[in-house]
Amino acid sequence: MTAYVFDHEHVKTLLGQLIREQENARAGEWLQQRRELQQTTWSTRDFLQTFTAMPRFTGKQPVKPNADIQLALEKAIPGFFVYGWTLDRLARVWWMLFIPATDKSFYISQVEALFNGAEMNELAALYSALPVLAYPEEWIARTADGIRSNIAPVQEAIMLQNPYPARYLPEAAWNQLVMKAIFTDKPLDRIQGLRERANAALAAIITDFAHERQAAGRPVNPLQWQLLTHFLTEANFADITRLWHSAYNVEKEAAALVCYYSNYPPAKELLASAPYLADEIKAGTLSWDKVAHTVYMT
Amino acid sequence: MCGIHDLTEQDLQPLAQSPAYLDKIRGMKFFDPHVHMTSRTTDDYQAMADAGVVAIIEPAFWLGQPRTGVDSFRDYFSSLVGWERFRSSQFGIKHYCTIGLNSKEANNEKLAEAVMEILPQFIYKEGVVGVGEIGFDDQTALEEKYYRAQLDLAREANLPVQIHTPHRDKKQGTRRSMDIAIEHGLDPAMVIVDHNNEETVKEVLDRGFWAAFTIYPFTKMGNERMVQVVKQYGSERIMINSAADWGISDPLAVPKTAALMHESGIDLNDIHLVTYKNALTAFAQSGQINESDFGVVTDQSEKFNGSSVLRGGQQPRINKNTTIIR
Repeated sequence: MTAYVFDHEHVKTLLGQLIREQENARAGEWLQQRRELQQTTWSTRDFLQTFTAMPRFTGKQPVKPNADIQLALEKAIPGFFVYGWTLDRLARVWWMLFIPATDKSFYISQVEALFNGAEMNELAALYSALPVLAYPEEWIARTADGIRSNIAPVQEAIMLQNPYPARYLPEAAWNQLVMKAIFTDKPLDRIQGLRERANAALAAIITDFAHERQAAGRPVNPLQWQLLTHFLTEANFADITRLWHSAYNVEKEAAALVCYYSNYPPAKELLASAPYLADEIKAGTLSWDKVAHTVYMT
Repeated sequence: MCGIHDLTEQDLQPLAQSPAYLDKIRGMKFFDPHVHMTSRTTDDYQAMADAGVVAIIEPAFWLGQPRTGVDSFRDYFSSLVGWERFRSSQFGIKHYCTIGLNSKEANNEKLAEAVMEILPQFIYKEGVVGVGEIGFDDQTALEEKYYRAQLDLAREANLPVQIHTPHRDKKQGTRRSMDIAIEHGLDPAMVIVDHNNEETVKEVLDRGFWAAFTIYPFTKMGNERMVQVVKQYGSERIMINSAADWGISDPLAVPKTAALMHESGIDLNDIHLVTYKNALTAFAQSGQINESDFGVVTDQSEKFNGSSVLRGGQQPRINKNTTIIR
């Protein structure tokens, strides 16, 4: 088995290029020095210290995007997305690509050393790095543990714009991620693989959760209903019908979208009672993105 | 750490709640450079934000009982730069910390050695603004050994030192702490001597160190006494803190003392220096403090697209004066 599931040298070069483009001469020089130091003889202490000291030299300004590099990165690792990161995070993730990966247990020991005792921003960088780590199956338990964190930047690093969880997490851990994201009010439209990883167990959890919220008189995020699309049953269809008759337009739109994409016959019937909604969906003027926009921007 | 042996019946009566002091300090910003938030509730954070506290330093200390293994220290240090940092950010309070082996637990030599091993891993972390709180408690040989070792660590890392001075034999212990710091080549401008009182302040200031005062009921300074200290010694190199912890203490000690100073006719600029600016100047020598981060609810640079910056304690409020909880 090879250590990396993507072209590691290529991604390292792309990230290096992006860092150099950030117009921070001090960071560039220092990173070069640290890299040379590390290449002659590997020292775990120096490696950890460079990772920790990163923001002192790079600063924390947001990464300036470069469309070509982004495209190349996404081609190398589907869904990999570095924008919205700060430069220290980008440089930390890049730095991790230098860990010698031929010896599996050595590689794991180095990554674990970074996790143990990491401060808040280091933890966020480490979880952001999941898609570029070697031996991807080895980080499943770590990721499941990270989902249990109550630190918002850490949760966001795992849940948002990160292709690793959808690709590697087993169903139970994935469902926990989605529920925690709903609980902590994360923008659900930024969870990669949200629709693809929908499943019957999650649909049942979502429905129960919605009932609890309703019993407490608390609002339910309309975006969560999309997870029922391919798992409609007689029982949960009552919720979609209720949504359809909601006084809130955005809830009716969510119900229409569920019905439109579902193969459940009663859903088709319900949608047929308001053909203009199906037309809007066909025309692209009504979509889950539009619902997300309504939910998060107003 | 509060001794409650001197309590009188009067001390046990509930105090009349008067938020009037808040009016006197409206618009003022405070920096509490010594407060153990790990031991405090979320309500305290909210109250501190409401009273104008925008930044704090949490020194590593002992937790009320001795730890038995190095992993407990690792997790504690890690919580100071992790969970506590985030908890604080939710209320728009920028959280920094100082990391060190406290004097009480320095007396367990085997454990102390193990803690010294992991300290370098933590003192270079982002937002670690010093080595602290270290110094003397009982003034034993082991306390001295690890105090000295940590002074060297601070000098190498070019970090300020936050010194805890002992409750017993205070004057002597304070003098000895300063002597040893000088012996280890530390610039007094890099050393904050904490828990001063009327008896220790003169020598600390004369020798060029920073003099911190802890406003803490019964065992340390009361704020009326503090007003007199500032009237006598001025505001240069003097700072106040709450050192609020798991004892009977007050996380609002800094804003309350600012209000009392204002009421007592102390110049606003002097108040600003002792309740904010001096602590900032002293600990910013670490290179780890950015004043523009103060008072911001979750770090702007950590936000996904940097567009939604909230200001000032925007966590949901609960009405405490009703029996209804929603």
